[in-house]
Amino acid sequence: MINPFINSTNRFSIYFFIWVVITLVQIFTLNVILELDLGYAITDSIVFNVLYLGIGLSLWYPTRFITFENYSLLKIFLNHTVAAIVTSGFWIFLGYFILDKIFNIDGINREFLSSSLIWRFFIGILFYSIIVSLNYVIIYYTNFQEKILKESELRALIKESELKTLKYQINPHFIFNSLNSISSLTLSDPKRAQEMTIKLSSFLRNTLSKNENLKHKLSDEIKNVKLYLDIEKIRFEDRFELVEDPIEDCDSIEVPSMILQPLFENAIKHGVYESIEKVSIRLSCNIEDNYLKITVENSFDPDSVSKKGEGIGLVNIQNRLKLIYNQENLLTIRKTGNIFKANIYIPLEGGKYSG
Amino acid sequence: MGNKTKVAIIDDEKLAQDIVANYLKAHEDIEIIAKCSNGFEGIKIINEQKPDIVFLDIQMPKINGFEMLELLDETPVIIFSTAFDQYALKAFEVNATDYLLKPYSQERFNEALSKAIIQLKNKDKYNKNIQSLISHLDEKPEYLDRVVVKDKQKISIIPIDDIKYLEAQDDYVMLNTSHGKLLKQKTMKYFERHLNPKDFVRIHRSYIVKSDFIKQIELFEKESYRAILKDESKLPISKTGYDKLKNFFNQ
Repeated sequence: MINPFINSTNRFSIYFFIWVVITLVQIFTLNVILELDLGYAITDSIVFNVLYLGIGLSLWYPTRFITFENYSLLKIFLNHTVAAIVTSGFWIFLGYFILDKIFNIDGINREFLSSSLIWRFFIGILFYSIIVSLNYVIIYYTNFQEKILKESELRALIKESELKTLKYQINPHFIFNSLNSISSLTLSDPKRAQEMTIKLSSFLRNTLSKNENLKHKLSDEIKNVKLYLDIEKIRFEDRFELVEDPIEDCDSIEVPSMILQPLFENAIKHGVYESIEKVSIRLSCNIEDNYLKITVENSFDPDSVSKKGEGIGLVNIQNRLKLIYNQENLLTIRKTGNIFKANIYIPLEGGKYSG
Repeated sequence: MGNKTKVAIIDDEKLAQDIVANYLKAHEDIEIIAKCSNGFEGIKIINEQKPDIVFLDIQMPKINGFEMLELLDETPVIIFSTAFDQYALKAFEVNATDYLLKPYSQERFNEALSKAIIQLKNKDKYNKNIQSLISHLDEKPEYLDRVVVKDKQKISIIPIDDIKYLEAQDDYVMLNTSHGKLLKQKTMKYFERHLNPKDFVRIHRSYIVKSDFIKQIELFEKESYRAILKDESKLPISKTGYDKLKNFFNQ
């Protein structure tokens, strides 16, 4: 850390101004109260105060190195007592020397000067104490601010890395199974094989690039989900259907990217994978008291008992929403009979859509 | 005609069945007798029509490929075909001939098929080992979350949570569930390894009990204890079983 009074012109101006005030007060005291002549009062005040202005700046260095972290209180106290005595002594000696030798003070002024040395010594110690205390306050204040800044930077970093770990990841089995379907179609139906290759590419491209952005429009999110379902449709044919309620009102609202994808993957995994019957997946959204509510429902086979991998995707969504919006319970899930229902609540800013 | 090798394809995705069928076109001496899209159909077809070779997917609705194998009267030559590579070890433990990772080439497919045909010719020798091989190995056991049982023509899928305790009965294990008793052709050792030790304790050579189903442990005779379960049944506890229980409840 550099001397804070030299470091910033603003601070130096304040420091300088204080010394000007002290000098003026001293001139007034000497001239008006002690009735010394004005010429002497001005010379005396300027010499002594300019000297201490300079000495005061150098006091930064002892404060900087005698820190509370490295020394005991007793040591600090002793160090500063010695330094204060030396500094003050040096100051009055130098002032006396300049006034005596350069300005050739004599008569009543010289008498006054000699007799004032003792109280000037104590004033010197007072100045020392004030400046050193101020320096300590500045050091601790600066450290404190730096700490706060570092902490907030750290928090931002933690949040970023948490979001990264919660990021949606493409299920490799989805890719391999899709590639197997494509491989099969190249033999039986090349046209559809091409169609599926293009869809799979679009989905992968979207997913890989969109994952980097924090948010995008709901319509973009749904577009990608539909691409995914189109691909699964080629694999599973009529083993599932998507029922979609109109979503125009919510189309342009920003949602975290890839936030719905895991819900649809769950619907496929726990619904379609585990069921012989046709599974129906329903998507709807509406605005409810300052929240965009997105609902994904799917039917499933209630007799299916496989629990593998259940919940990890959902916990990730919950945590991502919490990190992004700073609110709890933005994902609710409910199982009733053979219907699994997940609601995602996206807080709307400033009640813009509250109507 | 009658000399053709009979093949069944079991996969829940039609396109995945198609590619097997397509690859088989190159082999005139092979006949596809059935295509099934789930394990239930698979059991029925295999038990009734006895195919020589079965192409089997693992992840399927209701019961998976491994569970289906457990319920067969007689195991044909099996070639697994799946997108999941983590089951490879388990596949060879159940003596699968090969393990095709989707998507696979015609060459890779042919290789698997030739292996299967060789195995088919030596089937007598091979069959003797299979049952015993199915029941052991497992480097690191995966804990079961369900057990499939076939009782005459009915297949039951029992969630592990429904099991209260297991009792050894000769070559079988009796599963005492909240809906009744069912016999499963497995060993106690198998269950001891494949049930989560956080939930189940083997209290006796012949008994494994779900820990939260124990109501109380009482001194029965001198130095010997027995467990009283929530349904009031009383099971003996062996000396090592008592130590295990003590450890379990201390944790």
